[in-house]
Amino acid sequence: MPAMSEKKIRPEDDGRDFANAAWSIPSYLLSGMILYGGAGWLLSKWTGVVAFTPIGLILGVALAIYLVYRKYGR
Amino acid sequence: MSVLAEVTGSLGSIGYGLAAIGPGIGVGIIFGQGVQAIARQPEAYGLIRQNMLLGFVLTEALALIGLVAPFMFGQ
Amino acid sequence: MSTLTLLAPGDEFTPPGLELFDTPPIIPGVDWFTKPVLLALLSTVIVVAFCWSAFANPKIVPRGVQNVAEVGYMFVRDQVARPFLGKDADRWMGLLLSIFFLVWVWNLMGVIPVVQFPVASHIAFPVVLALSIYVLKVYLGIKHQGAVGYFKNMMFPPGLPKPIYVLLAPIEFLSNLIIAPFTHAVRLFANMFAGHIILAFFSLVGFWFLFEKLTPLGAPLGVVGVIMTIAMTGFEMFIQFLQAFLFAMLAAMYIGNSLHAEH
Repeated sequence: MPAMSEKKIRPEDDGRDFANAAWSIPSYLLSGMILYGGAGWLLSKWTGVVAFTPIGLILGVALAIYLVYRKYGR
Repeated sequence: MSVLAEVTGSLGSIGYGLAAIGPGIGVGIIFGQGVQAIARQPEAYGLIRQNMLLGFVLTEALALIGLVAPFMFGQ
Repeated sequence: MSTLTLLAPGDEFTPPGLELFDTPPIIPGVDWFTKPVLLALLSTVIVVAFCWSAFANPKIVPRGVQNVAEVGYMFVRDQVARPFLGKDADRWMGLLLSIFFLVWVWNLMGVIPVVQFPVASHIAFPVVLALSIYVLKVYLGIKHQGAVGYFKNMMFPPGLPKPIYVLLAPIEFLSNLIIAPFTHAVRLFANMFAGHIILAFFSLVGFWFLFEKLTPLGAPLGVVGVIMTIAMTGFEMFIQFLQAFLFAMLAAMYIGNSLHAEH
């Protein structure tokens, strides 16, 4: 994907990219936390080790941040 | 030792309320400075937008972690 | 109004809670016809009457209602439809205009003097609108990009190294198909719910300390309550407009993303 700063943007699409990004960022964060936090929670219920839930949550946050970086920050 | 002061009730909501102060200020600073930067140099809009979004996602992550912290750290 | 009669026998100030949203049926036998239902029907009538009287016999030089309605139409077209739908904006103007005006009138019911109940503070109303936009979004995505293409474009945006896809595709899927409609509805609901409770709280503070239990020490608190009620009503009206605009804007964004795939 060409870097956002070099692409030629038509006037009507200009607000779209930013608005898409701005609304999808909290959405990615939330869904990463829910997905991997939920997986961590299920894992901790299955194995009994309580620590998996926060590990899963932090992993979800980190992955979501990485996704935003690759998608919108290059 | 006697108890001088005590907080009862929903500690989770107090915790989240306190945890939302930092990211709130942070997001305000990011976008405020970003808008100012765009006003000063409109042709750098693409570059500024990228950095704004990156900063925003890092700050927002803290706010959302604050939301789930009561569940993470148990009762 | 019903909260005050609940409050009258007591001796201590109790802030309003969830009982603000208990609405008894208006006609004794008909259980489903409560105040929010009546207000929703009334809002529909208002929006239809407004748009009909404005656009039924449009003149080239607008006068009266048509003038005002044209301002609203241009606002929706330039701020909501055109940024996200581009060339197709005119096709979707009917839907977006209706959504914007309907949600705005719903919200305004919260500050109109005798009525004072924001319709969107009952979760069912925003959920129905958001769900219909969601169904429309998935239908249009599948129709324009093919069933496989829609999910492929959504979950596997081009340009990422291959191993990352395994971890990131579920996040994209969850974010687009589950979190998005949920936040779409809950954003409107939570804002109206909280706004209603805030207004009720400050009004109750003002009324309690100035009329119910007038004491020299409590009167300034009552005055503060009245001032805060006025300030929060102004703020609430701004939030109502903003939330209606946001709801319509996000609807346009979801539809636009389905029509043209994100590159």
